[in-house]
Amino acid sequence: MHSTRRSVSLIAGTVLLGLLAVLIAGAHWISPYDPVQQHAAERLEKPSAQHPFGTDRFGRDLLARTLHGGQITLLSAMAALSGALAIGLAVGLAAGMFHNSLLDRLFMRMIDVLLAFPFMVLAMVVAALFGTSLFHLLLAVIAVGWVTFARLARSVVLQARNETSFAAARVLGASNRTLILRELAPKALSPVLILATFELGSLILSIAALSFLGLGAQPPTPEWGSMLADGREYVLQSPHIMFGPALFIMLSVLAFNLIGEGLRDRLDPYEKPQL
Amino acid sequence: MAVLLRKLMEALLTLICATVILFMLIRLAPGDPAVLLLGQPSEVAAMHTEVYEQKAAELREQWGLDQPMAIQYVSWLGRLVQLDLGTSLHTGRAVSAELAERLPATLQLTAAALAVQLLLGFWLGIVSALKAGTFSDQLIRLACVTLASTPAFVTGLCALLLFAVTLGAYEISSEASWSRLWLPALTMGLASMPQFARMVRANMLAELGQTYVLAALSRGLARRRVIGQASRNALLPLVTVTALSAATFASGAVVIESLFAWPGIGKYALDSILRKDYPVIQGYAFVMVTLVILIHLCVDVLYAYIDPRLQRKRRQVTRGVNEHA
Repeated sequence: MHSTRRSVSLIAGTVLLGLLAVLIAGAHWISPYDPVQQHAAERLEKPSAQHPFGTDRFGRDLLARTLHGGQITLLSAMAALSGALAIGLAVGLAAGMFHNSLLDRLFMRMIDVLLAFPFMVLAMVVAALFGTSLFHLLLAVIAVGWVTFARLARSVVLQARNETSFAAARVLGASNRTLILRELAPKALSPVLILATFELGSLILSIAALSFLGLGAQPPTPEWGSMLADGREYVLQSPHIMFGPALFIMLSVLAFNLIGEGLRDRLDPYEKPQL
Repeated sequence: MAVLLRKLMEALLTLICATVILFMLIRLAPGDPAVLLLGQPSEVAAMHTEVYEQKAAELREQWGLDQPMAIQYVSWLGRLVQLDLGTSLHTGRAVSAELAERLPATLQLTAAALAVQLLLGFWLGIVSALKAGTFSDQLIRLACVTLASTPAFVTGLCALLLFAVTLGAYEISSEASWSRLWLPALTMGLASMPQFARMVRANMLAELGQTYVLAALSRGLARRRVIGQASRNALLPLVTVTALSAATFASGAVVIESLFAWPGIGKYALDSILRKDYPVIQGYAFVMVTLVILIHLCVDVLYAYIDPRLQRKRRQVTRGVNEHA
């Protein structure tokens, strides 16, 4: 009874994610319109059978834009996450393996410094200096994002180093490389990947927020945050233009949050109701 | 005292490292720093080429751009210490004065949002923990997950649509007045509340699962009193989480201020990016980083004094917050 209820959010999240993935991957078949083609005659139309989400201020079909935008938003979030994950794992493993060495201290200092940079602030500085584009936005995301993974990987590695298996491998003469790749990396991987599930949701939110401020994808590229930014001046007169992108941001973040919540419920022994 | 001194030194070191990063970012940026600080020749239309060149040369001289990097950095740091953040390209006024003018509006908004987050977060988190596994717990958790999945600017746009357009209860202007505070504060507080409520619930459940709670209950102590005692233990670590989330509010404020035309430093910085007012961005980043480091320092010191035993526990709790920093 209990275990089935606990899996509900995990299942719901996975199903929702699968549904979104199918919709977004099949954008060409679901909506025949071109996401960037402008039609001056059909500006700001209300939702209809022809345009289920209506049209924006240039007469572009919003369903087509939302679905195509999903490809850009989700792929860029995945790209940023992979970058942050790779750097975070590498740094965490190296810092944990050579605990208390100069390298470890240097990395920890760097992490402390980066933690003092609110994510938005760094993204704004990068955007101001290097220009506003999705690529620069992703670089800023990676520059801040790896820290979380590095900290977690390092703490897992520090624990794993105390285990007998690690000592045994070392006694048997394993090289540092073997120790890291065979003994430590597999142990660090699963908690870091679980954390990544949570992070993906908040990454999508951050990327959308920055795009909304005009610091990410530039028009006419369809991207959920920049679509909302694009319609911002018109939203008070024709609210329907924000429906599509807002709904899809919500649903995709919800999917990742539900999966994360489900995983956390299964793995965290302390959060069981006791009283 | 030794702890205090060590923390202070660490904070100072972090701050210096942060200024190095900020300084390096200008040098890494493509193009001539003098042009960056002066604006592109094509954008400064009212200026003759000779005048522009002369101004650029003056600027290079003034900023010592022809000197070695290390000397440039030290002189820049020297100006920072005197709170000289340069002058805005747009208005020609001192950046420090411009930022100081707008800081109160941001602080006002942040404090109000924090109050919303705390009140709602504690209430929902505690109710959810005490009724763990029941329908109301599920409902609260579902509401929190949904809210956490909604971008703050979507909530804000909906709120504007509802209160300003449909109901006409909210005035759209660009002033920072008390009558305009409630909607942005509510939006910002609601956006950060779910994560906080989750932590309240988790800490409460972990504490209620301790043996001493069971022991007290089995000895026949009133349930209410036991829970009261346990919640004090459970919620103390959250003091720091609260302080640390004030730092992440600094980021969130940019979106909310821009959406509600709230005249704080976040909106000012954003406008400055679009105007390519570089000194303002740099000054803003410096102020924000300093604020965050100060908050971290206060939390660390506070902790060392409240209870040294909590040091280890705090690290576990704060991990959850910093993920989003």
